[in-house]
Amino acid sequence: MSNAMRTPAGAINVERYQGAVAEGRFRRVWNANAPGYLFLLPWLIGFFGLTLGPALISLYLSFTDFDMLQSPRWVGMANYVRIATADPKFSAAMHVTLTYVVFSVPFKLTFALLVAMALNRGLRGLTFYRAIFYLPSLLGGSVAIAVLWRQLFASDGLVNAALSQFGIEGPSWISHPNYSIYTLVALSVWQFGSPMIIFLAGLRQIPQDMYEAASLDGASKFRQFYKITLPLLTPVIFFNAVVQTIDAFKAFTPAFIISGGTGGPINSTLFYTLYLYQEAFGNFRMGYASALAWILVLIIAVFTAFSFLTSRYWVHYDD
Amino acid sequence: MTEMTASVTAARPPSDITKRSLPASLVIHALLIAASLLMVYPLLWMVSASVRPETEIFSSTSLIPSSIDFSSYARGWVGLDVSFGRFFWNSLVISVLVVTGNVIACSLTAFAFARLRFAGRNFWFAIMLGTLMIPYHVTLIPQYVLFLNLGWVNTILPLVVPKFLASDAFFIFLMVQFFRGIPRELDEAAMMDGCSAWRIYWKIMLPLSLPVLATAAIFSFIWTWDDFFGPLIYLNDMNTYTIQLGLRTFVDSTSASDWGGLFAMSTLTLVPVFFFFLFFQRLLIEGIATTGMKR
Amino acid sequence: MSLRVSRRNFMAGGATLLSLSALGTSAFAQEKRLRLLWWGSQPRADRTNKVSQLYQSKNAGTSITGEFLGWGDYWPRLATQVAGRNAPDVIQMDYRYIVQYARRGALAPLESYMPAKLNLDDFDKAQIDGGSVDGHLYGVSLGANSAATVLNTTAFKEAGVDLPTQATTWDEFARMGAEITKAGKRKGMFGLADGSGGEPLFENWLRQRGKALYTADGKIGFGVDDASEWYDMWAKFREAGACVPADIQALDKNDIETNTVSLGKSAAGFAHSNQFVAYQAMNKDKLALTNYMRIKSDSKGGHYRKPSMFFSVSAQSKAIDLAVDYINFFVKNPEAVLLLDVERGIPESAAMREVVAQKLDENGKVALAYVSGLGDLAGKLPPPPPAGAGEGELMLRNIAEQVGFGQLSPADGGKQLVTEITQILARG
Repeated sequence: MSNAMRTPAGAINVERYQGAVAEGRFRRVWNANAPGYLFLLPWLIGFFGLTLGPALISLYLSFTDFDMLQSPRWVGMANYVRIATADPKFSAAMHVTLTYVVFSVPFKLTFALLVAMALNRGLRGLTFYRAIFYLPSLLGGSVAIAVLWRQLFASDGLVNAALSQFGIEGPSWISHPNYSIYTLVALSVWQFGSPMIIFLAGLRQIPQDMYEAASLDGASKFRQFYKITLPLLTPVIFFNAVVQTIDAFKAFTPAFIISGGTGGPINSTLFYTLYLYQEAFGNFRMGYASALAWILVLIIAVFTAFSFLTSRYWVHYDD
Repeated sequence: MTEMTASVTAARPPSDITKRSLPASLVIHALLIAASLLMVYPLLWMVSASVRPETEIFSSTSLIPSSIDFSSYARGWVGLDVSFGRFFWNSLVISVLVVTGNVIACSLTAFAFARLRFAGRNFWFAIMLGTLMIPYHVTLIPQYVLFLNLGWVNTILPLVVPKFLASDAFFIFLMVQFFRGIPRELDEAAMMDGCSAWRIYWKIMLPLSLPVLATAAIFSFIWTWDDFFGPLIYLNDMNTYTIQLGLRTFVDSTSASDWGGLFAMSTLTLVPVFFFFLFFQRLLIEGIATTGMKR
Repeated sequence: MSLRVSRRNFMAGGATLLSLSALGTSAFAQEKRLRLLWWGSQPRADRTNKVSQLYQSKNAGTSITGEFLGWGDYWPRLATQVAGRNAPDVIQMDYRYIVQYARRGALAPLESYMPAKLNLDDFDKAQIDGGSVDGHLYGVSLGANSAATVLNTTAFKEAGVDLPTQATTWDEFARMGAEITKAGKRKGMFGLADGSGGEPLFENWLRQRGKALYTADGKIGFGVDDASEWYDMWAKFREAGACVPADIQALDKNDIETNTVSLGKSAAGFAHSNQFVAYQAMNKDKLALTNYMRIKSDSKGGHYRKPSMFFSVSAQSKAIDLAVDYINFFVKNPEAVLLLDVERGIPESAAMREVVAQKLDENGKVALAYVSGLGDLAGKLPPPPPAGAGEGELMLRNIAEQVGFGQLSPADGGKQLVTEITQILARG
């Protein structure tokens, strides 16, 4: 098992195989590192040219009072202090976002994996099913989603119509502060097509003859799943888990569209980035919004670092 | 040795596992069909709303329209100053460019991280992941000013050029994970034959990675197709609008909106994406059937 | 190999774009150009573009490009453009935002152009003042509207309830609502919408009591008693079944299609007069406009004629003179005004109102008659709202929802509202 953060033992050392004669340290260093950096060049240009500058500026802005129409005014830690001590909307937004992450990510990944496995078995109608399950993801953040979701989850929507068949009278899910967040979770899970496709691609890369050999040895389907599929799929599971979680933390469009930008009712759909957006564009507080953004980056970074550090215990890489 | 043939056979759908008991098969199919209906219901509603009379759209909950009327399609297509066909074209151009940029630039970068050893690699990898975490609303204004100074505002350049510079860390990360799943023995064998890093990338890595490249292509296309905030900020002239931006101009909360037109055009916009997906998903299955790997 | 090709294509594409834009600028360099930005949908865009074309035909050498967006997308784009020093020349402004933009130096003061270049003589003085901030004119009103109650006359008739008149009080209106709900002629329909979270409604109610939302110097204009009584009034209405319950009201996202009247959940809802045409288009039933109710039979002064929107000029604009001339044309030229109709509101210029009145369609007539016929229901225009008014509006609604869902008592709700708004105003 290799650790993602340390230099894997099996990495290619180009210098050795290029047969470049080491003429002094510079030549050696150059030959060792040049290919890597040359491949990295587009990304480096993009990073330094387009990302680093704006990111640093936004970090600077987080220490200012900036209303976008006049020059920024330095206020030091004031924004951060307010976030930490005196901002009830921040706590509300954190609470809503964490609920969203905790519920939507596991469900989404589970469905994605189950359906991918079901589809990987060469069923009849595979192409059809795969496309159908991916269709919801195609709608993305369309304005139409708000209407569709209301048609499903409002007081007289389809869900309640179905429930009434069983004699249950449901509330107006989408506009009730206790349940509205779960309609957004449902929206996220409905769009599980993306991680499903990635799982499918991952399943495709597992060598078939491993299953054949295991079958010959008499292993049951479950055993094959636990001993072959899961371990070999761990890099992909890891990827999906990390990326979906980051995405869930950063989610904006669903809440924006469905709550009409209000995060209501009673802040029950106030995603963190929606709060950020309100502060930046609704209240002209770009400095404060920048501080909020960097807090989010910090939280996500901690989570991601934790994921990577613990990944060595369960993720198998072939190299 | 087994690995090499393994990577070839991985492409073919498993044929022996399909022999299973009929009840199990039926159950799975039943579940899948039920799930499909659930998945698709909202979309069916949208299609239905696009052909029913305007006043019925919000008042009726049934899927079947009282009467079928395609005027929303005609109205939506030409209703705005600029025909919707123009929006389709703009979206297509941008999406294709983005896909090209992403696949090329991100695979180069991912190859470096996954396969090459160089000083500072882990450092840059962490930085790359860091860029994944920044919500775009905040770098928005500084980036806007940057592009304004470059004279790129009101063109598609701010939407496209960053992709050629591997700005989408998601795909870099994705490809890194996949590249690491490809056995190293192939590379090392090529090394011993005197291949340069470039040839390994070009002749070995890319062909073996068609599934992930196809995945990246699909996602790139669809996300670009669906993106509205970037175009909102950078495209001022309505002739350059993308589909999502065009759709949003159908609806204004303070005056009369054309919901029928919106649903009609939304339905239409699903069509190209859907076909793009269908086309590329075959690549996922058939992908790497024979790419000369047998030795 | 493919890398080289794609780079070539990319360069070619980029070069084409750059050369095209260069072509554009050189051709227009000698002409006078104006960029317009407004919110609205296609019908408004059609009218505005026709006016622009008319202007261009009468002023050879000018070139006017118009951009428009929906309300929700408008403000981020405007803010980004202003921040990036790329603002359009003529900007459509709203009563709520004009103070923010004016005080932060984004708009150009226009009073020096009056009366020679900008002739607003036959405007109601109060409407001109509505566009003024700190003594300078920053926006020219494009039309007046007033808050209004939208009535589903068909639903009223079905339930056998008479329509309210200009003399109806809140208690009477609530009784009507309760009757409609009880009659139960339509599944899921209640009498009234829950207006406890609506800022225009709250402001109207306060004004009838001699209070206000905000004072002229930007402080809160009402007290805990007022707020508590307001929330309590609606709590009682909810209990009596006169208005929709909280979770139905929460479906209302403050736009036309999610208003409880449009959703078929209530027979009466609260909106603005210039939205009447859009409401009628959305609803199969016949709609009517009426005022916000009186508190007591002799209460008055709740309403006011409000500039529905302004045209302002960007302080960064290089064509301020041209912009002012265009705006003057927009609000004072008879042909232009006929093209615009009352889609943005009732024309402020008395002369133009005459011109338009003859050509109005039925729905337009309803809106015009409503605004002109307010009588003693209307009072003075309040001062422009202070910065933070937007947050205040959201807070009013937030607390109204908490009271509605039973999380807060009306008394506590009133207390919290005053505390929060005071804090918001202090933050600035």
